[in-house]
Amino acid sequence: MAETAATEASGPGTESRRGFLTIFTGAAATVAAGSIVWPLLDALNPDAPSEAQARMIVNVADIPENTAKTVQWDGLPIYIRKLTAQQIAAAQAVVTGTLPDPADFAARVNPAYPDYVVVVGLNTGITCALEGNSPADPRGDYDGWLCPCDGSQYDVLGRVRSGPATRNLVIPRFTFINAAQIRLG
Amino acid sequence: MIKELKPLSSLAALLGLLTASGLVLAVYYNPWHAFASLGFIEREVNEGWLVQAYHATGTTLLFGLAYLFLFRAMLARGYRAPDDLAWALGVKLLAVLLLAGWLGFVLTGGAAAYWALVRAANGALALSGAAGAIGMWFFGGPAGEGTLARLALFHAVLGVAALAVLAAAYRRLKPKMSPGVCLDHLARFAVLALIFSVLAFFFPHLGQPAVNALPGDPLTLPLGTALPWYLLPLAGIADALPGAWGGIIGVVGAVAVLAALPWLDGSGPEAVRSRWYGVLTWVWGLDVIALGITATARDCPQASLLLALFALWYFFHFLVLVPLVTAMEAK
Repeated sequence: MAETAATEASGPGTESRRGFLTIFTGAAATVAAGSIVWPLLDALNPDAPSEAQARMIVNVADIPENTAKTVQWDGLPIYIRKLTAQQIAAAQAVVTGTLPDPADFAARVNPAYPDYVVVVGLNTGITCALEGNSPADPRGDYDGWLCPCDGSQYDVLGRVRSGPATRNLVIPRFTFINAAQIRLG
Repeated sequence: MIKELKPLSSLAALLGLLTASGLVLAVYYNPWHAFASLGFIEREVNEGWLVQAYHATGTTLLFGLAYLFLFRAMLARGYRAPDDLAWALGVKLLAVLLLAGWLGFVLTGGAAAYWALVRAANGALALSGAAGAIGMWFFGGPAGEGTLARLALFHAVLGVAALAVLAAAYRRLKPKMSPGVCLDHLARFAVLALIFSVLAFFFPHLGQPAVNALPGDPLTLPLGTALPWYLLPLAGIADALPGAWGGIIGVVGAVAVLAALPWLDGSGPEAVRSRWYGVLTWVWGLDVIALGITATARDCPQASLLLALFALWYFFHFLVLVPLVTAMEAK
């Protein structure tokens, strides 16, 4: 109790000591309350498997040319298509101004990896999974994708070319980790 | 009044912690796959093991404090006017907590919990008349797939009821807040947090039957099924009385005599010190502990005789000894 007596004694320095103790106690109580509450809040965050699923890594090295692979991500079918050199040249030659939803080559494809197209494989008119991932599928007049529901046609970059749909295919958020892997999300 | 208030703030803090952690557990708890969902919470949910430990250790501390404070009030004869209403609220809080605690234990879906549920549900459904109808409504038929879903809801409702009883006790005692009282509470919470941490991190399964770590299986009744520690004295009284009604009468009667204590005490309000009353109350406290210990050792051949003796003493204390001793003092 000598401490208490010293704290309550008047004289030079006692004010700052009392203030220090008040701030110290308050800070300790705040830290304690925060560390009690934090687990309750963090428990409502997504767990590690969901987190990994939300930032999915896809191997793209095994996709043959002129073919697309489908992955389910974020509840959406993601089409990842590998273009041939001929398709790249043809897509770059298109005059964008004439398209229903103008977008040039660089806006649809990562310039560092120009042979991969990554799109959400749902028609932008009525929602419907597109056909054309395999070279054997019907692809429409533009060698891209065809909607089996309303007949909308898309080119190899996922730009709308004809049909009721008026907007290009959505490009999901993704990054190239290296030439063989992309991370979605 | 400040003396009665001290337990209330600790009880309120623990009930608050149980409510918060219970809300988080309710997000992930699946009554149709209770045991598996608890495993998911322990292993997959961020900090889930800690939230689960909050709930389990919070329950242990809450019952520990509730028992200790009620026992202290008994020793100090704090159940007499003007604190008789506070005592009644305290016993009511204990009754709500006991039922909520039993439900919470049953919700774990472990082997001990499953068989506790089966015994209670079968006992309730075996009753005839209105009691059987209430049992049927409460359990919704024999213990099965959907039973835990309704019990989870009852558990939550009783948690809210416990908060309401505590709020009523606060209103009754009308606490005065001042810097001194606040500091007092702060120091109390710090000590409580220290005890809590030691229990949560070093004894996370304190007082729980070990077989509850196995999933409940309708075809396997394992040895060593028991209730958690805070229900054991009542379980002992329930086991001591025979028949379908015996257990119910035992449990209800054990709480009812506590509530009736202000009327059983025959001394006037001026009598404060009483050696014999104090000694008897301590003996009664030991009797409650003995009931709990004996209830875990049901397989011993002497257990049923001991349980009957201890249960008899429990009621003998309240119905005969307390009125007798206090009436003798009053002369």
